[in-house]
Amino acid sequence: MSERSGPDFDELIGTEVEGEERERLLRVHELLIAAGPPPELPPALEPVEEIAPVVPLRPRPSRRRLAVAAVLAAALAVMAFGLGFFVGDRGDAQAVQPERVIEMTGQDARASLAILPVDEAGNWPMRMTVQGLPRLANGEEYELWLSRRGKPIKPCGTFVVTDEGRTVVALNAPYKLKNFDGWVVTRRGSEEALLETV
Amino acid sequence: MRVVATGVATDGDLIVRIADGDRNAFEELYRRYARPVLGLALRRIGDRGRAEDAVQDAFAAVWRSARSYKPERGAGAPWLYTVARNAIVDGLRRTPEPAAEAPDTASPEGGPPERAEASWLAWRVHRALEELPEHERPVIELAYYGGLSQSEIADFLSLPLGTVKTRTRAALARLADELDEELR
Repeated sequence: MSERSGPDFDELIGTEVEGEERERLLRVHELLIAAGPPPELPPALEPVEEIAPVVPLRPRPSRRRLAVAAVLAAALAVMAFGLGFFVGDRGDAQAVQPERVIEMTGQDARASLAILPVDEAGNWPMRMTVQGLPRLANGEEYELWLSRRGKPIKPCGTFVVTDEGRTVVALNAPYKLKNFDGWVVTRRGSEEALLETV
Repeated sequence: MRVVATGVATDGDLIVRIADGDRNAFEELYRRYARPVLGLALRRIGDRGRAEDAVQDAFAAVWRSARSYKPERGAGAPWLYTVARNAIVDGLRRTPEPAAEAPDTASPEGGPPERAEASWLAWRVHRALEELPEHERPVIELAYYGGLSQSEIADFLSLPLGTVKTRTRAALARLADELDEELR
C-alpha cells in the first residue's frame, strides 16, 4: 500500500504497553494508515429502516441504475436508490492530513470540520464530525454552508445523523474560501444557523 | 488471542441464509460491507459515481450467486470479496472509460499482486472498523482520518484525555483481534 501519514503511535499508546502487545498494536496502526479511511456512503447507498416516500433532490437519470434497482427491488428494502446526491469525497484525498480544523458550535451540538488540501480543480474536500444534533425525520437533512456574517451563501453538501446525534461525513466546498468568513449548518430549506463557526 | 463473538451470525451464516432468500440476512450483510465494497470500487474505478453504481452491481451479484457459496470451502469474507471484485470488473468491461482505468505509468502501490494484496487488506481493515463499538470508532476515525490529536479529540468529544487514550488503546486491541490473520 502507498505511503500515508498518520497519528503518532507513541502519543496514542503511551509507554504502558510494551513487548509483544505493543508490536501487535503497532502493526494495526500501520494497517489503519495504509488502508486509508473507509469511504462515507452517499445517502443513496445508506441502509434505511424502511422505504419512505421521498422526493429525489437531484436524481441522476441512469437507465442502468434503474435496471439494477429493479433487479434488487425485492431484496434491497434497506437501500434507498436515488434519494439524493453526494458532494465529492475523493478517494485519493481521504488519507491526507487536513490543512486546518474548524470548530463549530450550537445549542447542545458541536462539530469539527477538517479541511483537506484543495485539489487542482478547486475543490476543498472536508471531513465533518458532528455530535448533538437531533435526528431528523426521513427525507430531511442538515446542510453545511459557507457563510458571510452568519448568513448561508454557498452550499457544501447535506447529511443526516444517528439517533445519538452523531456522524462523520465527507463533504466538499468547490469555492474560493477567502470569499467567506465562516460556516453554518442549517436544516435543509431553512436559513436558521444550528451550528456556527467559533 | 482472537476474541470470537458468540451469538452473532458470521458472514458465512448470512450468505447461506441469503441463498434461501432471507432479506434480513441480506440487510445485515449490506450493513457490514457497504463501505468496504464502496472502498474497493473506488480503488478499482476511481470515479465516485461509477463506484456507487458498482456497489449496487456487487450486492446484486451477491444476491444472485449466494447459492454458489460453500461454507466448507472457507469463510464468507473472501467469497464476498471475490464476488464484489468480479462484479466491479465486469461493470468496468461493460462501460469502459479509459480515463478511469489504471494508469500505464508505474504505480507507487506496485504491480497487480501488490495492489490486490493492498485491496484485500483495506477491505479487511474497513470491515473491522465497522465492528468497533459506537463509543470507540469515533476516537479512531478522528485520530487516523480526521487529523485530530488526542487532546483535540478529548476536547471535541467532551471527554477526559485519559478516556480518549483508554478508548484508543481498547479500539486498537479490538482491531488487532479482528485482524488477527492479517497480523501474522
